[in-house]
Amino acid sequence: MNTNLVDVKGVTKDFHNGKITVNALRGLDLVIHEGDFLAIVGPSGSGKTTLLNLIGALDVASSGDISIFGHDLMAMSRKQRAELRLTSLGFVFQAYNLIPVLTALENVKFVLELQGVDGGRHERAMSILEDLSLGELANRRPNEMSGGQQQRVAVARAIVARPRLVLADEPTANLDSENSEALLVMMRELRDKHGMTFVFSTHDPLVMAHATRVVTLLDGRVVSDETKNAGDAAGSAN
Amino acid sequence: MRDTLLAKFAFRTLGRNPRRTLMSIIGVGVGCSIVLYMTAFTRGGAEMRIRGISESGFGHARIAPATWDKTRDSDLRLEDWERDLDIANGMAGVKFTAPHSRTTALLAFGTRVAGVEMLGVDPESEKNTSRLIRVLSEGRYLEREDEGAVVIGTAIAERLEVELDDDLFITIAGAGGEMKYAMLRIVGIISTGSRTIDSTICHVTLSEMEQLTGYPGVGEITIVFNDPSYIDALTVRLGELLEGPDPVVSWKVVIPSQGGDMGSDAVFMNLLVGVVIVVAVLGVASAQLTAILERKREFAVLIALGMKGGQIVRLILIEAVAMGVLGGAAGLVIGLPFIYPGATQGYNFADMMGGDFVTEGVLFDPIVYADMGMWLIPLAFGIALFSTLVAGLYPAWYALRTNPTSALSLREA
Ligand SMILES: Nc1ncnc2c1ncn2[C@@H]1O[C@H](COP(=O)(O)OP(=O)(O)OP(=O)(O)O)[C@@H](O)[C@H]1O
Ligand SMILES: [Mg+2]
Repeated sequence: MNTNLVDVKGVTKDFHNGKITVNALRGLDLVIHEGDFLAIVGPSGSGKTTLLNLIGALDVASSGDISIFGHDLMAMSRKQRAELRLTSLGFVFQAYNLIPVLTALENVKFVLELQGVDGGRHERAMSILEDLSLGELANRRPNEMSGGQQQRVAVARAIVARPRLVLADEPTANLDSENSEALLVMMRELRDKHGMTFVFSTHDPLVMAHATRVVTLLDGRVVSDETKNAGDAAGSAN
Repeated sequence: MRDTLLAKFAFRTLGRNPRRTLMSIIGVGVGCSIVLYMTAFTRGGAEMRIRGISESGFGHARIAPATWDKTRDSDLRLEDWERDLDIANGMAGVKFTAPHSRTTALLAFGTRVAGVEMLGVDPESEKNTSRLIRVLSEGRYLEREDEGAVVIGTAIAERLEVELDDDLFITIAGAGGEMKYAMLRIVGIISTGSRTIDSTICHVTLSEMEQLTGYPGVGEITIVFNDPSYIDALTVRLGELLEGPDPVVSWKVVIPSQGGDMGSDAVFMNLLVGVVIVVAVLGVASAQLTAILERKREFAVLIALGMKGGQIVRLILIEAVAMGVLGGAAGLVIGLPFIYPGATQGYNFADMMGGDFVTEGVLFDPIVYADMGMWLIPLAFGIALFSTLVAGLYPAWYALRTNPTSALSLREA
């Protein structure tokens, strides 16, 4: 543990809409450690999604440095960033995560196919679904599943390629508390058992309750960073 | 099978908006069927033209003296016609040959005269290559042993007011420019069904022609090939075999205006085909683009997951191929019911235009048959696939440009 998975240093991000410039991030510093179950919170517009987009190699910072697994993200080409996302990052989005024409199992398998994994895709995808108690959903299409079931399948898809880091932008925003709880318990187990690292952006107190660490943003900067020790078996040095 | 899900993904996407997919397929199918229909009739028309030319005694090609193409002088004779004829008859792909010689003659009976181009023929060969001589209103056609015999068309007979067994007085300019005279007995009167052609026919035997003109030998050898689709190649081949002073020219050289007409038919057809394809491409492209715009978030998710540009393009092109295959099938289903009657009953131009179908001595069949064959299948799928693939390019390029950050935020949904 204690390894720095992600190191964000003095990052800014500006959006230009015609004459108006929005400074979404204004010199943000953040270190993400292996095994973090990190909730990024803050008021609407504080820059949570923007930060996740940058860490997830979906967007490029205006200035500053981001290193991810020791690689300088700013120096990567579009193609290298796509490769990084495919092999080392998992994503869970707020909604419309799954490809509607593919079943739960196919959605999970599809990531393996994109990775060029040749043999055993079916077995690997199925065993992930079963590990997450989603076996019965295997042959259902997204429109035949509840929102909570879809989000859990999305987690299965995010982790099937064994990424080092899973990013989730408000994953519980469209779920009721029961489904949110189930989703969080599932992810927390993955983190506890397999040491996977999760980063969420959220407004949901339930997510904060499960988090081992809560980082608060305000106006594009980190204003507080709390690590909870109680009940945190994996621990964190900070 | 590395890309099984990609293909499944693409196929199932077509089922997402079945009405739009069906409309696109029908659009491609209709465009395709129009192209098939036009091509079938253009090919049928070309076939009719070549058949008409061939059966009017012109054949598919002609061995002619070297300077004939420039001078068109009917008094020219081949260097070694017997060798030429042997080689032509011995070549694979040659169906019939017919030697001819020509001269300009004045026919007279009493006080009435008519100028014609007199044709010297080998009666046996002529029966194989020309359909013009098959119907006689009176008498018989020439035979090899005939001496002092002539066969003329009904229109000439009427003009000269002659009957069977009357003797015609013939005047020609023979070898060395001296005038030659002869009496020939009418043994047959030909009725082709076309007055224009019937006013030009005046046949004698080759040996009669030699005697009349004083020019020995034969002026040209008409060639009919087994398969008219290979006229150009066979003409070249025969020329190589002859390798002598007597060249071979195809019917396009013999009757250049017919070749030109066929060429302009083809250009017009290609233009129409081009327009139809452009319309189909634009239609499908706009439907595809709408579909891609609706799937913007989906592409954002795919790109966020790390799907590469090439894979996205492949996804969209598989959709296009599937649509192309269905569109091609639709084209055949829509087109064949129109082409089939065109191929079996034909389309009668006589009803539309009236009169005979004669130009430059060629008697055409007024009924054009659509050419219906297996070639329609690859053409249908070729056009449909071309249209849907081209139509898929812009939408694919658009999908590639999707910003993956829109997958995370609901902002751009
Ligand atoms: N593509 C964009 N174009 C222009 N401005 C943007 C864009 N994305 C984000 N912003 C602006 O950047 C700032 C930060 O936005 P961001 O989406 O990161 O906030 P957030 O913390 O995720 O908010 P929320 O809790 O509402 O999701 C906001 O002022 C937003 O309007
Ligand atoms: Mg947000």
